[in-house]
Amino acid sequence: MSPSAEIAVSVERVSRSYGGDQPVVALAGVDAAFRRGTATAVMGPSGSGKSTLLHCAAGLDRPSSGRVRIGATDLSALSEKALTELRRTRVGFVFQAFNLIGALTVEQNILLPSRLSGHRPDRAWLAEVVERVGLGDRLRHRPAELSGGQQQRVAIARALATRPEVIFCDEPTGALDTQTAAEVLSLLRSVVDDTGQTVVMVTHDPVAASYADRVLVLADGRIVHDMPQPGAEAIAEQLARLGRRQTVATREG
Amino acid sequence: MLELAVQMLRFRKGAFVATFAALAAGVMILMTCALLVESGLRYQGTPQWYAGAVAIVADGELTVPGPELFGETESTTAPLPEGGRVPESLVATLAAVPGVAAAVGDHSIAVTAPASPGTPVTGHGWGSAVLAPYRMIAGGPPRADREIAVDARLAAGGKLRPGDDVAVIVGGAERKFRVSGVVGAAAPRATVFFTDAQAARLDPNPGSFAAIGVLAEPGADRAAVIAAVRAAAGEARTYVDGRRGLVGQPEAVAARALTVQAGSAFGGYAAMIIIFVVAGTVGLSVRHRRRDLALLRAVAATPGQVRRLILGEVGLLSLLAAAVGVPAGLAATAWTRDQLVTRGFVPDTFVLRGGVLSALAVTVAVAVVALGAAWIAALRTSRIRPTEALGEAAVERALGGQVRIVSGLVCLGGAASLTGLTGATGGTTALGAATGMLYLFVLAVALLAPWINRAAARLLAPVLRTVWGSSGYLAAANLRANARGMVAVLTALVLSVGFGGAVWFLQDNLQRQVTVQHHEGTLAQQALVGSAGLPAAATARARKIPGVVAATGVRRTSVIVPNRLEAQAVPAQGIDPVGADQTLDLGVRAGSLADLRVSTVAVSTTQADAAGWKLGDDARLWLGDGTPVTLRIVALYDRGWGFGDVTLDTETLVGHTATGLDDHVLIRTAPGADAGPGLADLANAYPMSAVVGADRLSGELAGDLAVSSWLNKMLIAVLVGYAVLAAANTLVMAALARTRELALLRLVGVTRGQVKRMVQAEQAGLLGVALAIGSAVAAVTLSSVVHAVAGVRIPYVPALGAATIVGGTIALALVATMLPIGRVLRTPPVEGIGIRE
Ligand SMILES: Nc1ncnc2c1ncn2[C@@H]1O[C@H](COP(=O)(O)OP(=O)(O)OP(=O)(O)O)[C@@H](O)[C@H]1O
Ligand SMILES: [Mg+2]
Repeated sequence: MSPSAEIAVSVERVSRSYGGDQPVVALAGVDAAFRRGTATAVMGPSGSGKSTLLHCAAGLDRPSSGRVRIGATDLSALSEKALTELRRTRVGFVFQAFNLIGALTVEQNILLPSRLSGHRPDRAWLAEVVERVGLGDRLRHRPAELSGGQQQRVAIARALATRPEVIFCDEPTGALDTQTAAEVLSLLRSVVDDTGQTVVMVTHDPVAASYADRVLVLADGRIVHDMPQPGAEAIAEQLARLGRRQTVATREG
Repeated sequence: MLELAVQMLRFRKGAFVATFAALAAGVMILMTCALLVESGLRYQGTPQWYAGAVAIVADGELTVPGPELFGETESTTAPLPEGGRVPESLVATLAAVPGVAAAVGDHSIAVTAPASPGTPVTGHGWGSAVLAPYRMIAGGPPRADREIAVDARLAAGGKLRPGDDVAVIVGGAERKFRVSGVVGAAAPRATVFFTDAQAARLDPNPGSFAAIGVLAEPGADRAAVIAAVRAAAGEARTYVDGRRGLVGQPEAVAARALTVQAGSAFGGYAAMIIIFVVAGTVGLSVRHRRRDLALLRAVAATPGQVRRLILGEVGLLSLLAAAVGVPAGLAATAWTRDQLVTRGFVPDTFVLRGGVLSALAVTVAVAVVALGAAWIAALRTSRIRPTEALGEAAVERALGGQVRIVSGLVCLGGAASLTGLTGATGGTTALGAATGMLYLFVLAVALLAPWINRAAARLLAPVLRTVWGSSGYLAAANLRANARGMVAVLTALVLSVGFGGAVWFLQDNLQRQVTVQHHEGTLAQQALVGSAGLPAAATARARKIPGVVAATGVRRTSVIVPNRLEAQAVPAQGIDPVGADQTLDLGVRAGSLADLRVSTVAVSTTQADAAGWKLGDDARLWLGDGTPVTLRIVALYDRGWGFGDVTLDTETLVGHTATGLDDHVLIRTAPGADAGPGLADLANAYPMSAVVGADRLSGELAGDLAVSSWLNKMLIAVLVGYAVLAAANTLVMAALARTRELALLRLVGVTRGQVKRMVQAEQAGLLGVALAIGSAVAAVTLSSVVHAVAGVRIPYVPALGAATIVGGTIALALVATMLPIGRVLRTPPVEGIGIRE
């Protein structure tokens, strides 16, 4: 296997700033490569650019500068349509909020990407995904009838349904209890271990991050720590230090 | 995609009901207009009267070379108001055509039968009975000058049998006849037959026929005969097949013109409004679902797929709307047709025809408008990047681009430049001008609405805060933040206020102009009115009555004038100019009515503007029977609405009107003189006539107008109603879309009462702005159009009407907002927050 084939997603000197009356730099030259068959946790204080990084890496947003590759494909060269088709087949995404289409049932929401791409869904795999997120009995319900955590699990099931190469999750366990969170996280872990898919997830929870092979910590749009499998305590300590440093900086500034 | 679209429709019924209602009502209105036009075009009167003839040669229309447009000379064809004539000599020419068995000249003489008043009767010579052909039921044909044959309808109405004596009024005089026989009724009008010689004598236009019927020899080649007749007819027109029915039936021609004109004009205005409303509603419904659409994009729908989804939804809705709107339109047209028949606008032979063509055209047109609007709305939503979309779903974006501002200002400029329009004559032109101007104004408001809303929010913030306290503070913030979301609401409100205020009142103003001008311009105190017509002798006789200072015979007709845009029939009057200055004051601006002779003419100032005429010019125009005349303009006058745009010497009209009779004689008496007995004698001398006060004459005019404007008023009411429906629609949609926002407010501690007051404050702000802009638009439009057509600066606005518009708008806004908001507030806020947007 060549080194490039081992990289599922690579982000090269990516910057993203939002224009407007007061321009905001959400990402300032981020470099990162996510290897195939690994799970990475992205952490950092609120507003540090985690969601933005995920959106850029997934091709949901275009960076102001820099380059994003999924596998060997350079996203900046793709048209909006080609980008969408790539997302549809090779990328799964779970958003922080507002994940589901209210008009569609749980099942229809999960099948939406395959329906949009006109592919026949893999029924056996679907049944397994639904089983593992624990939604077997709610398939005919509408999102408005589900709890926040259940909605989040539907979104995860949808992200997994097409067996994408990479799955991006923005705080997948934010709304879940410890028990369900553990189930969801082990589901994500197992797709990495069993099928060699790649997972990149944003989380605030050190325990969730400990399921990952690697933890990236963002602050002010930059990567400030890159820790391989550090364990929950080390993560918590790093975050705490980051918090202290920020308070000091604010006081000094 | 279609399946997904169906599912979306089913889920968001509420939001789609609004779009559906707008579309279905639009289809219904357009369907009614289109079907009227289609039926009018296919309507050919009743050909029975000429059923026996292979071809009819007559002169019912006038083709006038029109203005040069883009290097090409357009021409307009207008039906002749008084019906055309063909010369007697043509009969021999046509009879000589090979294959023609006979050519029969037909006199068409207006007759009144006192025995059955109210039934319009036409007199013919017995010779033309073969054209129908008529069958004798009883007795025989008229053989002597004193004999007539009557048709079964008259015989039944007046209980007539052969041998009975009967009086009929012809040429303004009563004549006694003996009934020689009764014929079966074939023509749509009641008919009497004189002998041919008598008919020729009674015809007010001697030496000519109304039409010539051509009978083919048995076994002759029909097509060849028709072609030869056409060639021989020369200037006159040849009517064959169904078109024969339109000859000699002025009411059929008028019915055709009325339905085609009203249908197409109102179809045009309706189309404009429907474009606005449908575009606004569709845009709003897409806007309210941005979050869903953004999510679809993020979950991997290509921009094209999202567009197809939206187009699919709107397309389905259009089809559904057509399925409901077309039958509703058919029913509405049937009702309209019955009303038109009952009110005497069209003969009861006028039936609705076709419909397939109209239904197709209307469905396609409405679908195209809806899909176009959906496309534009979808473009924005689907072009932006998915995360942007997710972000935008929560926050309102910037107000809009430069293009929007610039096009808005261009529309405003265009509308403003139209305020200087001049020389629009006639109600239809005025209505068209008003609608066009209104359309531009509303378009400008729609384009500039984001900025208007924001400016208004800034301006009103202190007021709202003072009146409503913290609720007012929230309201002002909402108005400002939601400046874009409120565009459709503001536009819909301005549209209904502007439309109601301008077009409805315009109709009132035009009607009022007629009566006011007629009232003010009539100096005579009395008038002799003859419903069967008055001969010129009546005027002479009136002048001889002691105490009468002046008497003026007035003959109402229409003439065709070559206006700049197209040739048009305009109302005209023929007067006997001797002493007219004592009975009539036309408001002469320049020149003098004293110079009115056979070779001169007076025209209204608006007519002069429309045709580009000046005092002293030679005006070329066509009399009601199509005769071209060139007359020198000797006077320009203001009161064209009250008295017609063209005033001629009655002498000029002799032989060129259908009856050759005056309609009334204006009589001025000396102060203190008692002319009563003399006037009573005068009325006795002429059948079916009466002396009335001149005020009654104006009053009757007003009554006639009220009747004739019924169709206009009805159609305008429908359009105003449609605009109101649209406004209500948008208000309800906007209110229901706020579920989440209001739930959030209540969760952070705003009480239900405060929310209600906040919404009230917003409504007050929005309504204030809409009413102010709408009234301004209506005022500018109304006053400039009224000024252009009537020369009056300040339009007449009935207080009740103004109150209805203002009150109606307020009531509408309150009902259409407070009811849905009340419903929203009844759901517990925690539920509301979870509810899909
Ligand atoms: N559409 C936008 N316009 C302007 N600024 C934005 C926009 N979206 C994000 N930002 C800014 O970019 C920065 C990074 O935002 P981002 O959403 O990536 O943060 P995050 O790390 O995901 O935070 P959280 O943990 O709260 O979700 C923030 O300062 C945010 O205010
Ligand atoms: Mg985030």
